[in-house]
Amino acid sequence: MSKVFEGIVPTGHVYIRESVLEKGNIFGVAENKSAWAKNLNLPKKAEYTFFAGCGYQLMKYAGGMMGAVRTAEKMGVGMGKVIGISKGFGKLGIDVTSITGKITSAGKEDPYTRVLTSAVSVLRKVGVDVGYLGEDEPCCGSPIYYAGFVDDYIENAKRNYELFKSLGVKKIIGIIPACTASLKNVYPKYVDGYDIEVKHFIEVVAEKLRETNIKPKLKEKMTITYHDPCQLSRYLNITTEPREVISKIEGLELIEPEPMQKGEWSTCCGGGGGIEVCAPALSERLAVRRVGELLATGAPVIATSCPACVMQLLKGINKVKADIKVVDLAESLDEALEEGQFAK
Amino acid sequence: MNTNDLKQLEDEIIDGVRQCSHCKMCVTVCPTYEGWFTQSSMGRLAAIYAHFKYGLGTEEELSNLLFQCTTCRRCQSLCRAMSAGADITDLIVKTRNYLVKRAEAREVKKS
Repeated sequence: MSKVFEGIVPTGHVYIRESVLEKGNIFGVAENKSAWAKNLNLPKKAEYTFFAGCGYQLMKYAGGMMGAVRTAEKMGVGMGKVIGISKGFGKLGIDVTSITGKITSAGKEDPYTRVLTSAVSVLRKVGVDVGYLGEDEPCCGSPIYYAGFVDDYIENAKRNYELFKSLGVKKIIGIIPACTASLKNVYPKYVDGYDIEVKHFIEVVAEKLRETNIKPKLKEKMTITYHDPCQLSRYLNITTEPREVISKIEGLELIEPEPMQKGEWSTCCGGGGGIEVCAPALSERLAVRRVGELLATGAPVIATSCPACVMQLLKGINKVKADIKVVDLAESLDEALEEGQFAK
Repeated sequence: MNTNDLKQLEDEIIDGVRQCSHCKMCVTVCPTYEGWFTQSSMGRLAAIYAHFKYGLGTEEELSNLLFQCTTCRRCQSLCRAMSAGADITDLIVKTRNYLVKRAEAREVKKS
């Protein structure tokens, strides 16, 4: 089947399509999805359903996979060869992506998975009744939409809607901007009678903070600059909410980048549209450029709200050897909020 | 997927591309622009138009240009702000879809 798209769709995207349709996640990793939520005792049914998506839980594999792709490109081997090799191993029962992921993430602290636990803890602290579908959670299919496989995407969307209906899901809180935008803006276009209310995590938190007037407080003062993910700022039009949340956290100071590099006009980090699998060198240059813009603000920490942006920014920082940290806004929020502060 | 649907999609794309008023302001905000016009948002639209209207460039060349786009929508926001209102990113994604559909249709014909 993949022969059909030779020269029309990059091999990386065809691989992602197969992974989404066959395994239900973008990297084709055979791992249990809900491992991060093991100790959280999240119910299946609640007022809001937390949609964790593939990004944060599997991004540790992406690092390894992208590393392999980049090295292969430098050696003059195309993405097709790399996938061919990993498929060959797959036939023998060896899952290469999970092995490379384990090697690259071993010893290093995984910066992605803990964002999910922080986000759930924040939602609980602000008094949101939140549940999680666990193993039943489907893939939203957003990457295959942007790769041009719209028919497959629609089929997947319809199946997902049926699944949501059968599980009694009415309101969804998304944490990954791309999944949230896909569930909120693209699904209604293709699924008849789509009536699920979708909100992004930051929106919900901003709303809850507005309702109550207790201020979250950081133990140590921190100066940050905020990187707007493109799916959040331009697809979901959420640019004021994160700033509102940041301004409400005591001890958190925000330094903004130049006007044409923030909010609606924020520069892309190079992680969008699956460009990192078909043009890794270009994607790295974009990351370096964005890190340069954020370094110019002089802030020692970059806050953002997207797993792909975190990965790209870390890559860019690694490349220019800059002394700057990347945090997800959910983590800082979790630190700033105390247990029981919002109990009404 | 029959040829009528393909033709309709092609017309939609061409109509969308015609919304562009050639001001080239989007080129200044395109993150992938590094000197070549076809590395930019408007350049991609121009390539789509030239390919559909005059058969310029192979499918593979067009796909290469389109898959260099990060779909960050910065150009589309600017285009809306400039009141021209061409949905540049959406058109690029639509053309990727068109190429996939055409390849599938070709495969069906062959077998």
